[in-house]
Amino acid sequence: MHKKHLIKEKKYFIKYYICYKLKVLNRKGVFILLNKDSSIPAIIEMQNVGIRYGQGPEILSDIKLSLKKGSFHFLTGKSGAGKTSLLSMMYLAQKPSRGIVNVFGKNVNFTNRDSLSLLRRKIGVVFQDFRLLDHLSAFDNVALPLRVCGMDEREVRKRVKELLQWVELDRHMLDTPATLSGGEKQRIAIARAVINRPELLLADEPTGNVDNDIAPKLMKLFVELNKLGTTVVIATHSEKLINDFNYPRLHLQNRGLRIFYPNDVSGLGGNI
Amino acid sequence: MINRKQELPLKDDSSSLFLQVMITIAVFLFAVTLAGVLSINSMLLNWNQSILGSLTVQIMPVNSIDKDKAREETLEHQNKAVRFLESRPEIEKAVPLKDEQLEKLIRPWLGDGTNIGDLPVPRLIDVKVKKGENINFAELAEKLANASPQASLDNHKLWLNKLIRFADGLKMLAMSILLLVVTIASGAIFYSTQTSLGLHKYIIEILHMMGAKDTYVAQQYAKRTAYLGLTSGAAGLALAVPAIFAISRLAEQIEGGIISEATLSWGSWVLILSLPLFSSLIATVTAYYTVKRTLEKMM
Ligand SMILES: Nc1ncnc2c1ncn2[C@@H]1O[C@H](COP(=O)(O)OP(=O)(O)OP(=O)(O)O)[C@@H](O)[C@H]1O
Ligand SMILES: [Mg+2]
Repeated sequence: MHKKHLIKEKKYFIKYYICYKLKVLNRKGVFILLNKDSSIPAIIEMQNVGIRYGQGPEILSDIKLSLKKGSFHFLTGKSGAGKTSLLSMMYLAQKPSRGIVNVFGKNVNFTNRDSLSLLRRKIGVVFQDFRLLDHLSAFDNVALPLRVCGMDEREVRKRVKELLQWVELDRHMLDTPATLSGGEKQRIAIARAVINRPELLLADEPTGNVDNDIAPKLMKLFVELNKLGTTVVIATHSEKLINDFNYPRLHLQNRGLRIFYPNDVSGLGGNI
Repeated sequence: MINRKQELPLKDDSSSLFLQVMITIAVFLFAVTLAGVLSINSMLLNWNQSILGSLTVQIMPVNSIDKDKAREETLEHQNKAVRFLESRPEIEKAVPLKDEQLEKLIRPWLGDGTNIGDLPVPRLIDVKVKKGENINFAELAEKLANASPQASLDNHKLWLNKLIRFADGLKMLAMSILLLVVTIASGAIFYSTQTSLGLHKYIIEILHMMGAKDTYVAQQYAKRTAYLGLTSGAAGLALAVPAIFAISRLAEQIEGGIISEATLSWGSWVLILSLPLFSSLIATVTAYYTVKRTLEKMM
């Protein structure tokens, strides 16, 4: 009887030891979060983040957020709710007025300029206002992210041509943005954002100006990238887009952030 | 084929023309002043050498109503002095100036057609001291006077010293002008680069968003200013060379051999002709560090 108890004890110990080794338990034997996400690193983390412009009021307050690697989120909220502001912290154009922002595990407040540049190379951004360089051709605009990190020019040409063909803009390769339509500019902006196969893709209204038949194609591009491991955040007003894809949505309202998972629209109240 | 265009359209900057003119003027001033400094230097060197290496002995003319006799006696004194000088171990050679040479020396004062034989002019002996010999000037002067009472020794030192001090002052002045020109030129490059950075803030921000480091931007500026520094420097030099020649022609026309010793050596010319390289280097370095420092204040 006594012996049997000992064997049971021993089995329990081995189990405990393996768990400890696998880092499921900590030293004191307390279970570390056993949620299935815990092994996946967060690409972006925000804690108590507030942002304000100059001396104005806070546009966003106490934002808490953790975006796991490989996730796909929509970002919604009324015009002026702060979508662009939130994204700009993610693409490192802005530091938070308060709180902590970690991008790729690095606290942006304690990261030097050159390291920030290296982080930005892993991020593709589609700006709401495109921000194309007007004196450069479509080709040179798309080539920009590759050239700034010193890629071989032959490789640059190959990749850019390929992508421009894919977004159906190879005819306009040598045209400058000023001579292109809004939708064409947007596709160039998207091509520039994805040319470097970013680990994080942030798109601000990427399908606002394109036809209904090219919008799904661009969305398909984002989905494909996501399948290959890219973390994606897309700010949008388009209810149709959100409903067509079953992705969680970050919703900005009253300076705060709430996360809604597909089929859970309680509390949204049509405030998109 | 697709030509790669610079992301920063620095060529079209309005400050570009300003910089070109600025650098051209700066290099022009620098080259002319530098030529001045270098020739003052060679002049000082020559003067110092002449103080160290040469003496002049002056034979006062014997006064007599009989011109021929006076001349003969004077020449006799001269020969004595020459013999004495040649007997000294520290002296390499002593050469009396010929009539034509003396005539040439006094021509600026008395005009053409003077006959040296008719005038009670002192005779001169050009004395070369052996290299590395330190002569005792006072002792030599005394012994010379004993050998030939009409002879007196002059080592050019007194009046040359004043000239040397004057030339030294001139040199210092020129050097401070050189420093000033460089300061002003790099200041201009600093401010126009800053202005240009402000002008292209939008593009630079985008480049940063695409992952460009500050050095990427700084290199584009450095390349542009290197080109400006070289071409504008060459332009400034092209203006300066004729100016230098013109000035030295004017200097050559001054008789008396003081300033004509101010010739530019080959080394000096090489230095002057390489100025566009220096202007390019200074412009490049200034622009590069201006960009780095200015961008550090942006996010
Ligand atoms: N650079 C700025 N300076 C001052 N205020 C700003 C600045 N950028 C944004 N804001 C303010 O911050 C608030 C949020 O702006 P933001 O652009 O983030 O909104 P948004 O959700 O992207 O809107 P939209 O859907 O219209 O693009 C707005 O009230 C705006 O006035
Ligand atoms: Mg916006």
